[in-house]
Amino acid sequence: MSTPIKPLKNCGKCGLCLSACPVYKVLKEEQASPRARLQLIKAFENNTLKSSALLKEIISKCLMCGSCAVACPSGINHYEKFMDMREKMVKDFGETPAIRSLIYLLARESRIRRGAGMARLGQKLVQKLTPTWLANKYCLGNIPLKQLPQLNLLPFRKTVATTTPAQGTQRGSLVYFTGCATNYMYADTGISMVGILTHLGYEVIIPSDQTCCGIPLMFHGAVDEAVKNMITNIEALGAHECDGILVDCTTCGAALKDEYPALIKKRMAQDPQNPPESWKKLASAAQKIADKTTDILSFIVAHKQDLVFDKTNPNLGNIAYHAPCHSRNSFNTLALVQSLLKELPFMNYTPTLDEAECCGGGGTFFYEHPKIAKKMMDKKIHHVKAVKAKIWLTDCPVCRINLAGNIDKTSETEDIQVLHPVTLIHDALKKEPVKEGPVKKS
Amino acid sequence: MTQIKSTSIKSTLIKSTPIKNTNGNPIPAAIKEQLIQIVTQKRYLDQVEELACYAYDAFWEEAMPDAVIFPKTAEEVSRILKIASLHKIPITGRGAGTSLCSASVPVKHGIVLCFSKMDKIIEINTRDRYIIVQPGVINGDVQKALAPFGFFYPPDPGSMNIATIGGNIAQNAGGPRCLKYGVTMDYVLGMEVVLASGEIVGFGSRNVKDVTGYKLSSLFCGSEGTLGLVTQAILKVVPLPETAKTLMVTFKDLDDSANAVSDIIGSGILPAAMELMDKFTLNAIEDSFGLGLDREAEGSLLIEIDGIKEACEKEMGKIIEKLKENNAVHIQESTNDADRERLWTARRSAYGVFAKMAPNIVSEDVTVPVSQVPEMTRRIKQIAKHYGLTAGVLAHAGDGNMHPMIPADKSNEEEWARVEKAFDEIFAAAADLGGTLSGEHGIGLAKARYLPLVMNQDSINLMARIKQAIDPDNILNPGKFV
Repeated sequence: MSTPIKPLKNCGKCGLCLSACPVYKVLKEEQASPRARLQLIKAFENNTLKSSALLKEIISKCLMCGSCAVACPSGINHYEKFMDMREKMVKDFGETPAIRSLIYLLARESRIRRGAGMARLGQKLVQKLTPTWLANKYCLGNIPLKQLPQLNLLPFRKTVATTTPAQGTQRGSLVYFTGCATNYMYADTGISMVGILTHLGYEVIIPSDQTCCGIPLMFHGAVDEAVKNMITNIEALGAHECDGILVDCTTCGAALKDEYPALIKKRMAQDPQNPPESWKKLASAAQKIADKTTDILSFIVAHKQDLVFDKTNPNLGNIAYHAPCHSRNSFNTLALVQSLLKELPFMNYTPTLDEAECCGGGGTFFYEHPKIAKKMMDKKIHHVKAVKAKIWLTDCPVCRINLAGNIDKTSETEDIQVLHPVTLIHDALKKEPVKEGPVKKS
Repeated sequence: MTQIKSTSIKSTLIKSTPIKNTNGNPIPAAIKEQLIQIVTQKRYLDQVEELACYAYDAFWEEAMPDAVIFPKTAEEVSRILKIASLHKIPITGRGAGTSLCSASVPVKHGIVLCFSKMDKIIEINTRDRYIIVQPGVINGDVQKALAPFGFFYPPDPGSMNIATIGGNIAQNAGGPRCLKYGVTMDYVLGMEVVLASGEIVGFGSRNVKDVTGYKLSSLFCGSEGTLGLVTQAILKVVPLPETAKTLMVTFKDLDDSANAVSDIIGSGILPAAMELMDKFTLNAIEDSFGLGLDREAEGSLLIEIDGIKEACEKEMGKIIEKLKENNAVHIQESTNDADRERLWTARRSAYGVFAKMAPNIVSEDVTVPVSQVPEMTRRIKQIAKHYGLTAGVLAHAGDGNMHPMIPADKSNEEEWARVEKAFDEIFAAAADLGGTLSGEHGIGLAKARYLPLVMNQDSINLMARIKQAIDPDNILNPGKFV
């Protein structure tokens, strides 16, 4: 978060964070609010409240969306406080087997790859063998199994070269951090990313040794594992000279931009035994990466005058947008994206009343608290139907899984396609290489 | 000016007993079982981790409840209160817990009745201009529900995006635009209330004109949950103004800014809001946000007028004339919504700017006659300086509702003692100028001891007698101002 870190005692308990909290708005219980979590953490730190299973449950009934920190007049960094507390709670009470295996999986790229491969086989098998009524009935969290996305045939990063040259004259080179979702689930996003960036005259480098950003690990208190992933990524991304590091997922982006430098700072303060030199180096490498990290939509907004659209494409009709929490809170892109969507010539942007409200995905929140997530989703679906949108755009893969997972594909009236905005933009671009490349900026 | 000696103030005030945030007695098992039968296990909390979340509101005092119950109907509230009456268990009502005077802290422990889940809008009727809501409906949600019909509900407390109508009624909440439109009490047409005995009573109606018997809704409005618990309210709504215009004005002299306020009001114009900020506040905001405010200005006014476009333009001309007569330095008019939003952002961020300065921010709401705003501002500054503290002054100047804000650290005992002394004197100064203790936050625990400054003993006794008649066992929000 961009807000400065302030001591917890600055919480004046004014309650403004409640109005920003998606979970509070559904449950209407103080113990589900950011203010309550801060008060409980304070009591725990002062030793007036002991650690307990209930305390862990209260602390983790949170989307980690960061909206509270943005709303806080005292500038408290709720996000960091909650992350620390989650780590402590997991140490005392462990995690559910499902979450434990997720952590195991995400901590090594080879495991993610194997896991995704097996899951894909499993998915096919399940589709073949499971009777429809059963597939309709069983859910992952609040999402019926049949509505989960198909996994990529091959991991996206296996299907593209490490370096894709620019179309036309090269104006610079960019490193693309794909994240797990694009790599294993949403190859369409990856293809469009590379297409748009090369169209704009950039060479795109996709370091093959990148891995999970580690945010899911941090949220579940597996900070040691997250540190390992962080070091892998800093080395992978830092190895390439480039003009910028691009993400298609703002949660991964928040890791590169905010969480890595914060994590290193915390580790250095915590662990003076470590050779300070290597950590200092790591800190400066992380800062360089942080400074270069941009989300794709902000990047497109900054380069929109260079996009050449194929004017013969038909208009795609009504299109709605869902603003992911990290896009709003970490990258502050809401107004930017709204203005971009308004300007795109090939669609009618029809904003929904609640486009900036959380969908309840929240990493693994939809799985851990399906009832709360379902309530948030029901409202969103209601509003998106009201504007008669045929396509629903969002720039976060977990939101995408959650939005798409809650639209009943079998109902004709409900069928709404959920996509990353880059896919539509890429499809609308003039396909032949731009003959006269844009002038390289000084 | 004659400064009242703080020793003589002390002797006038009611002695306050320190609040200890310790556990009360657990609700006996048999009673707990009866309560759970009413609301089910899901809406009954009594684990320490949960109770700790209901020990506070936006004031600094804290006290643990013994149980928290979420009622959903008036019948449930009635049955709960019957049990509580029988066993003399204290009951403290709560909405979103944003009270600035400790009104929702259960200082005598017992049960917190949290109305946040009773959040249905029952009827919107713009032809007859009313809305019927349950107490847990959030003020901001009322606005959202009315906007498509071209209507709004005027009371706009700073916490409106989370504070509930039940809490607004209990505290008779105000807000910036109450200058023109009036406060919560002016919009409550009728209500359903559950008394301590469990009786469900109702008064008022859907009619703006209604002189049928005592106007009891006025008594319950602002009663801070000490007389009964509101389970439904009929609120008056008004059409949204066609247009709104906002001005930001700065002055070299604080007196000029305050005189401009009384001149404008005296000229017959009633703006929707007139917000005054002193130099310290203005600079603090500028430090944080860099909005391009005039750092040299001793005082500034944010003025908003609303209504029919042509009328607004005419009024605006007259206002600017009055501002110039009072030596305004810069007059900046908003030309569009984004501009207007930017000016209001500056005003709204004031609380946050102070909140960042120290662990606690003591923000009171003494109110004085409009003509006394400059004198009160000077006294606040003088008193704060005398105790080595820094005070920022914000005021809803059009109605004399002042917000002296002092950033402090409660864990610093020596400093806190100075803060308390300073506020003793600030309240006394307000009384001295013909003002009152609270314009919109309420008395609660925060200002109970200052009552003798503005009321004689017989008046305080009358409140006690009313309380005794309606809640003879003193189970409703005990330990507060009555």
